[in-house]
Amino acid sequence: MNMVFRNWRILLALLALLLAAGCATQLAPAYDKAIVDGLRSSNREAMILFATLSAESESKSYPARAATYNQLIGTLDALEMQSRARPMPKGPGHEAANKLLEKRGLPVVGDDEAPSATALNRMSATLSKMRDTDRKQGLSPTEVQAFKGQMSIYMDQAMTYEAFLQR
Amino acid sequence: MPINIYQLIADITAVSTEVVTHDVTTLQGFSERQLKAIAQQAAYVAKGIAAGEISEETRGFFLTGLEDMALNYAKTLHGLNSIVIEKVWNGVVSVIWKAISSATGLVFPTHFSG
Repeated sequence: MNMVFRNWRILLALLALLLAAGCATQLAPAYDKAIVDGLRSSNREAMILFATLSAESESKSYPARAATYNQLIGTLDALEMQSRARPMPKGPGHEAANKLLEKRGLPVVGDDEAPSATALNRMSATLSKMRDTDRKQGLSPTEVQAFKGQMSIYMDQAMTYEAFLQR
Repeated sequence: MPINIYQLIADITAVSTEVVTHDVTTLQGFSERQLKAIAQQAAYVAKGIAAGEISEETRGFFLTGLEDMALNYAKTLHGLNSIVIEKVWNGVVSVIWKAISSATGLVFPTHFSG
């Protein structure tokens, strides 16, 4: 019976919060199909670049890859801007949710930026570092593989989060 | 018609379970992929440094990258959890509105119905 009573208290608290907010609660930014599509095509292009670099690359062959690097970095920067341009929810429902969670000892939700925006920023930085190293001294197969690993991890973070926003 | 509390609790449990069951699979899959990939990356970078196959130029970048990837993995997981909480919350409230609407005959504006 205590359990039922406790559940009711939680429900009433939720109800009051939603009435105060006057709308469905939003704790994360809106889904944007253009960002998801952009991530998919950037991932494909990046993997093609890594495939061409799987054999050791010398700096003298860098000019043939320069345009690909720049196009990918530009696309990722544009996607990061798109991701950051979406407002992060900060309404009464969001604040009420955080207060309720804090009160119950749970971590608060929502940050100042989407984790996908951070991941996009780091992907761009990864490719920039790779490009600069390629131009300066070439890349060893191990370095290519390490850049690919880093790129893939950030890409998975961005793609998973952005796809999950479709609720 | 009064609200049947036990039916309401059953409906709320059903909607919460549906969301959580579906989304936990995605979260588990993401975590497993990320932890495996970050561990592999750490092993690969360590091996590359030891063998001299990762140059001075990139060594610091990869080491800092490992730390940053782990941090953003945690932030992404946190963000995914926020979305799950949002879905459960809105699902629960939607059930409550329906129950109140049935009990009182009141029609709530759509922005109140979740």
